[in-house]
Amino acid sequence: MWREALDKNMKILVVDDFSTMRRIVRNLLVELGFTNTLIQEADDGENAMTMLRSQPFDLVVTDWNMPNMTGIDLLRAIRAEAALKGLPVLMVTAENNRDQIIAAAQAGVNGYIVKPFTAVTLKEKLTKIFERIAASGVSA
Amino acid sequence: MNVSSPLAIDDTLPPELRDLLNSPDGPAFEQALDVMVRQREQRLFRALGQLARDLHDAVRRLGGELTQEGVPGIVADARQHLQDALEMSAQAAHRSLDFAERMRPQAESLTRNAGQVLEWTNGNDAAAVLAREAVAFASSCRDGLADMVLAQSWQDLTGQRIKKVASFIGTVESSLLELVRLTGALAGSEAPASAVKVSSQEDADRLLSEFGF
Repeated sequence: MWREALDKNMKILVVDDFSTMRRIVRNLLVELGFTNTLIQEADDGENAMTMLRSQPFDLVVTDWNMPNMTGIDLLRAIRAEAALKGLPVLMVTAENNRDQIIAAAQAGVNGYIVKPFTAVTLKEKLTKIFERIAASGVSA
Repeated sequence: MNVSSPLAIDDTLPPELRDLLNSPDGPAFEQALDVMVRQREQRLFRALGQLARDLHDAVRRLGGELTQEGVPGIVADARQHLQDALEMSAQAAHRSLDFAERMRPQAESLTRNAGQVLEWTNGNDAAAVLAREAVAFASSCRDGLADMVLAQSWQDLTGQRIKKVASFIGTVESSLLELVRLTGALAGSEAPASAVKVSSQEDADRLLSEFGF
């Protein structure tokens, strides 16, 4: 499963207003073996939506707290748009209160990682996402 | 008031009140009660007046400072310091990430080259021992670099807090300016350009004098 995911020429969009965090996520993805992966970045939800509408992506990794459009609003916008609603979204955020996790789950998040996190956690959540995608027969 | 109605008259009441409650003279009772209430009201008014005067002085001082210097320098400084801290921490984190990104390919290349050496040797000579050591070192290097990359997320976590504090300072700053704007005339100093005059100094003084100040 993991091998298959890695072998694919995936396109991942990393959304965070902190350039350091975008770079950290990118580094971790490379470290996990996503070397053939095209990783692109956006600094808020609005810019992410513009990119998602203009080119196909296989996965979105997003922060919660961002100016203009937050991660939860981005998630809702993705789910509300016919062409994007099936796109897997992994939330990576410092927000760890119950209500926010519930809100993300209700909005249809595919995975939720609380910062600070480890590469192992990232791999675990990504594996789960790919497993579910494979099980549902939707090609990622 | 019907003084004959059963009232709880106990020893804890002041003697003058007890006497009044026991008095059969209705009008006298009411008159005495009025005097007492008025005395209490006057004490309250005096306290309110003092409070108004203190606030008036404080706002005048603050208003003077704000209108002379615009936004208090210390608030602007505080925000700039936070912004500097945010930028410096981001730069420091990026430098560490630069380092990790530079070292990772080197560690990978060391692993590859040591692997080739192992293929050429019989596996027991000094070169093989060194090559195996190099492979182990490169591997621990990669793990260490990954940990270091992850550790840089402190910048994001502290940066988010810094941003929240900066935004809080902004809110305090605008509330302060709004307070001064609203009370600009009361403070007796030139209000900021957008100020709406709520009352004049005379109005304020007249109001205060109504309370005996």
